Amino acid sequence: MAKQKSSSLENFFHPTDYFLVSDIFPTVWCPGCGIGTAVYSFFEACKEKDIDRDDLYIISGMGCTGKISEFLCLSSSSITDGHIIEKAVHINEKNPDKKIVVFLNNADFLISGGEELKKAKKRKLNILIIYINNFIYALSKDQAFPMTPYMRRSTKGEFEIPFNIPYMAYSIGASFVARWTPIRAGWMKHSFVESFSVQGLSLIELISPCLIYDANTGRILDPVEKMAFYNDNSEIQFWVPVKNLDLRRQKRIIIGKFLDINRTHDT
Amino acid sequence: MTHKGQKVEVFVLKERCKGCGICVAVCQTEVLELSEEKNSHGYRHPIVINADRCLNCGLCEMFCPDFAIWATIEKEGVLG
Repeated sequence: MAKQKSSSLENFFHPTDYFLVSDIFPTVWCPGCGIGTAVYSFFEACKEKDIDRDDLYIISGMGCTGKISEFLCLSSSSITDGHIIEKAVHINEKNPDKKIVVFLNNADFLISGGEELKKAKKRKLNILIIYINNFIYALSKDQAFPMTPYMRRSTKGEFEIPFNIPYMAYSIGASFVARWTPIRAGWMKHSFVESFSVQGLSLIELISPCLIYDANTGRILDPVEKMAFYNDNSEIQFWVPVKNLDLRRQKRIIIGKFLDINRTHDT
Repeated sequence: MTHKGQKVEVFVLKERCKGCGICVAVCQTEVLELSEEKNSHGYRHPIVINADRCLNCGLCEMFCPDFAIWATIEKEGVLG
């Protein structure tokens, strides 16, 4: 009986396959990457809120995170660095009914493109920005950049202080700010569900494990060890003041929901 | 052990799997195990060894980054 079911397995698909193009599998990411979990929980949140494929427009950037829009069965686009949120503004003018979701990574958000947040705030867009932070430029490995942790550096150079993304989002005027790791996938999905009913800008930072980035030893960790590392070194605390959320000298990463108020009338 | 007296079926699409092993590590009732044989890409995919012990908690489905595994409750012979 089990053999019959496994032979007819092609007829049954994964619960999120309604949103995905099933011909393109396996996905392009490394085994154990956190981006796949983020995409899964986002579409589970869409299913919970009864959001159809036609109600969504998904924009992503370049690199690993930009590959998200390659295998979606809905209107989506992958755009060069620095023009992503600007593209969201244009799409919102033409399709005011669609919910616009932006997937950003470090290069898109911190080097070029982060300043477009002010434009999105000024136009009072209801966009959801999912910022996938893996502490690295994954495809170009050895660079230091604004989110490099405090005691880490490239082969030459000085220590730099990492950037506080939730504080920046608060100061620009975001209505909803949260931070999760993919090991808390259920919480992540709950935050996506809540952010669909938020008026204004909402930013969710996902601290995602990257397999290339070695955590504390010289060798590359297993995916399971990587997940366990982020599980052990994170701590859920709600409504922490956003000023205290920098990753500067913290021993544990504070994750949780930090801000949920209507700030559309702030300028 | 079953979920509220109903049978639970676990599905693995082995051609999507990349063998990261997160589903095996995350399963609390030891339903899954990495296989000895490999799929066409050269990865060891999970196989179901204790199908009776599945609780339909959904953790393997939730953490799989490659959309390769899921579990459903079997209702009167129709897979839902």
